[in-house]
Amino acid sequence: MQLFRYATSIYGDSDVVIGASWDLLPWFVAAGLVIIVVHAMVKALAGRRGRAH
Amino acid sequence: MSASGTNASVASVAEVSSERVSRHHLLDRIYHALMAACVLTLMGSAFLPIVGWKFEWVSLHWMTGVALALLVLIHIVRALVWQDWRAMIPDGADIRNGWRSVRQALGGNGPAPGKPGKYKILQKLYHLAAAILILSIVASGLLMLLKIDTPFWRRNPYWFDAGTWGVIYSIHGAASMALVTLVMIHIYFALRPEEWWLTRSMFRGTISRKEYVDHCDSSRWQASNRT
Repeated sequence: MQLFRYATSIYGDSDVVIGASWDLLPWFVAAGLVIIVVHAMVKALAGRRGRAH
Repeated sequence: MSASGTNASVASVAEVSSERVSRHHLLDRIYHALMAACVLTLMGSAFLPIVGWKFEWVSLHWMTGVALALLVLIHIVRALVWQDWRAMIPDGADIRNGWRSVRQALGGNGPAPGKPGKYKILQKLYHLAAAILILSIVASGLLMLLKIDTPFWRRNPYWFDAGTWGVIYSIHGAASMALVTLVMIHIYFALRPEEWWLTRSMFRGTISRKEYVDHCDSSRWQASNRT
């Protein structure tokens, strides 16, 4: 997985960055899902612990 | 207590419970709705072609982007001139309460966290993160307009060299993808039952007096009534 997208420079002698890699998009979606699932689990466990006391 | 005293207290309780506290002005709710529409349109026009749904997205994207830039500008002016922008800045009490909340959630002992003012610390941090990302996206997006023809100007891609354009496009793309994460989190919290009082207030503009008393520290947010 690359962090950036590259293209060959107009002189043809080097690569230039042309933007962030779109391969990162699923990782940002996954990060959102992880935060949501972890928060939901913590709240569920805290609620269960609160009801038990 | 006499019958008249009981009636009076019942009446005052009923009065208090029917009172509404103003939370979001109509202009702010309209701003929130328009901003949400712009952000979702921009995400759709940016990412749907990437995941395989091809359509002519450039015109829709840049015009919605300009609309978002204008909305953000209006919001900044309104927040600085007419609203209490300090209400959105994390302060010492927020950090102390946040730390106590974490300790409590982990089962630790110690003083209970106090109530927030108008906004919780997580709302303030979310707003800060969203502001950084959206300002980065808007600033880089406005520069990227130099690379397209519109009815208002002709493209001029020679303002910057290739390396600088790469940095501008990288900022725009990375911040846009990070905004997907933030939008997901925002929708999730808006749908959580314990946050419905906040979600409702973004539609109605008000919260009940009971919600105000239950969730907010009146010394940190002096709210005004709306009956």
